[in-house]
Amino acid sequence: MIEIKDLHKSYKMGSNSLHVLKGINFTAEAGELVAIMGSSGSGKSTLLNILGILDGADSGEYTLDGVPIEDLTETKAAQYRNKFLGFVFQSFNLINYKSALENVALPLYYQKVGRKERQEKALNYLDKVGLKEWASHLPSELSGGQKQRVAIARAMAAEPKVLLADEPTGALDSTTSYEVMALIQKINDEGNTILVVTHEEDIAHMCKRIVHLKDGVIVEDKKVKQVRAEQYV
Amino acid sequence: MFDRDIWQEIFNTLKKNKLRTFLTGFSVGWAIFILVMLLASVNGMQNGFVGQFNDDATNTIFVRPGTTAKAYAGFEAGRRVQLKNEDLDYIAKSFPKDVEYISARYYANATARYKSETGSYPVQAVHPDHQIIEKTLVIDGRYFNEADVINKAKVAVIGRKVAEDLFKDEDPLGKFVEMNNLPFKVIGIFTDEGDDNAERRVYAPITTYQRIYGNTNNINVIALTYNPTYDLSKALAFSGRLEELMKRRHKISPEDQSGLFVWNYAEAFDDISSFTAVLKAIGIGVGFLILIAGIVGIGNIMVFTIKERTKEIGVRKALGARPRQIINLVLLESIFITALSGFIGLMFAWTVLSLVGPAIETPAFSNPSVSGGTVVTATIILIIAGVLAGLIPAIKASSVKPIVALRDK
Repeated sequence: MIEIKDLHKSYKMGSNSLHVLKGINFTAEAGELVAIMGSSGSGKSTLLNILGILDGADSGEYTLDGVPIEDLTETKAAQYRNKFLGFVFQSFNLINYKSALENVALPLYYQKVGRKERQEKALNYLDKVGLKEWASHLPSELSGGQKQRVAIARAMAAEPKVLLADEPTGALDSTTSYEVMALIQKINDEGNTILVVTHEEDIAHMCKRIVHLKDGVIVEDKKVKQVRAEQYV
Repeated sequence: MFDRDIWQEIFNTLKKNKLRTFLTGFSVGWAIFILVMLLASVNGMQNGFVGQFNDDATNTIFVRPGTTAKAYAGFEAGRRVQLKNEDLDYIAKSFPKDVEYISARYYANATARYKSETGSYPVQAVHPDHQIIEKTLVIDGRYFNEADVINKAKVAVIGRKVAEDLFKDEDPLGKFVEMNNLPFKVIGIFTDEGDDNAERRVYAPITTYQRIYGNTNNINVIALTYNPTYDLSKALAFSGRLEELMKRRHKISPEDQSGLFVWNYAEAFDDISSFTAVLKAIGIGVGFLILIAGIVGIGNIMVFTIKERTKEIGVRKALGARPRQIINLVLLESIFITALSGFIGLMFAWTVLSLVGPAIETPAFSNPSVSGGTVVTATIILIIAGVLAGLIPAIKASSVKPIVALRDK
């Protein structure tokens, strides 16, 4: 599903450049649930940005679902993001003047799905995350956990190949964190490929595989026994 | 563009920022209001000036005889020039393509009497064409026609004031009014935009009066209108040729300024036209400058809005919004605010004008108003203005990098 070969990325910081990713090799099969760990500055967010086609690499190969990702125009990148990827952010990034339903329907709008079908699909996904009754509520009327569940529904609505979650539990207390992780596990159980960036050990162990990043290289890549989140909820 | 979702988003953002929307829109609405009022004022001024002259058709030329000031062709200076019926025919025959309507005028005064009422009025004995040249408006009955002229009929078309003075409440049509003791049948009543004095006048067929005054064929003035398709230079060329020909015919020196007067309305009218054109240009110029201030205001607010919404735009892009879609969103919002507020300004100006305009009636300023063309132009300008105001912010928005926008740590 995801294949990365010898990926390099550096940022210019004034006169000197900062080499963030120093040759990353990484593959993820369909249906995997991978945690990417690392301290801040390890390059995990940069890696996620490149995986999410939000940023380009300096060198190296990136193949997503058999499609080489290189030299994309803005429009093409937008299409790929829309088709292949779903994003979940630490700060939810819901659009605050749109209802939960409208937020979930947004990626479908960019897929040019008709209005009625969009509403139905969005409601369906809201139902999956258990927020059907909250469809008409604005994000400001939802709790943190509910917001993140709406964000996950939004990410899933476009039926992406890969779900990318950047610190999905970073802004939540532990109980809600586990709720969100339970949801992510459920989605993974249905066969979806998910990458979770986190720096929390317990969250990482709720995935099936942990990749450790340090100073721009992968220092450890191991399969782990998944801890189910439901038991803590 | 007519996507319901885009409009919904625009309404949402506008609703969320009512004050900002109002303040932004106000600057454009106000600018359009001023622009329209300025144009209407210039229009009113033009109406005023034209009103001073529109007693007669604007393509009129008058030929008046005078007294020669120079000896010429064997004649001494100081000779009175007399126009005759033949001059009229001569002009009509010489310039068949240039002359539209032509009429002689024979001036007389009449003491008019109906029953016990009497009054003294100037009489203009003319040809039927004179009605059009003088823009005489017959409000009742009819003007006299060729047949009346040929028959030397004793018919009269009297001014509204004459009718009021002599006939009081009676209907004058078909009644006989005695003018210098000769009965004339009243066949029409006219009104004239000129002034009250013009309505204290009587028109009669020229032939009738020429016979009364000793079978003369003298005339006082020749009034004519030239081909209305002529522009100023053609009109002036024509009156030049006319003057030359008439001077030759009456043996007046071409340099003689007082032997014959050929007075072309176009000259005076052209001065006014260029004057109001300059005023209009100034009006449009000032209006546009104010509008530009309004556009910059909207652009400014849009830039600010984009800054505020950077994150949202980043999210949209992460969700798969193409740059074009972002540009559309911003542009449409800008066009919408500009067009709507401009339209409100336009309507406001229009309402003010239609309420106040007709009430303003002074010699130099009357009925300030705007034409449909102006309204359409203003609307188009507004939409272009909206695009211009939104363009830079829109491009700015579309170049927002989602990674920058989403950096929340």
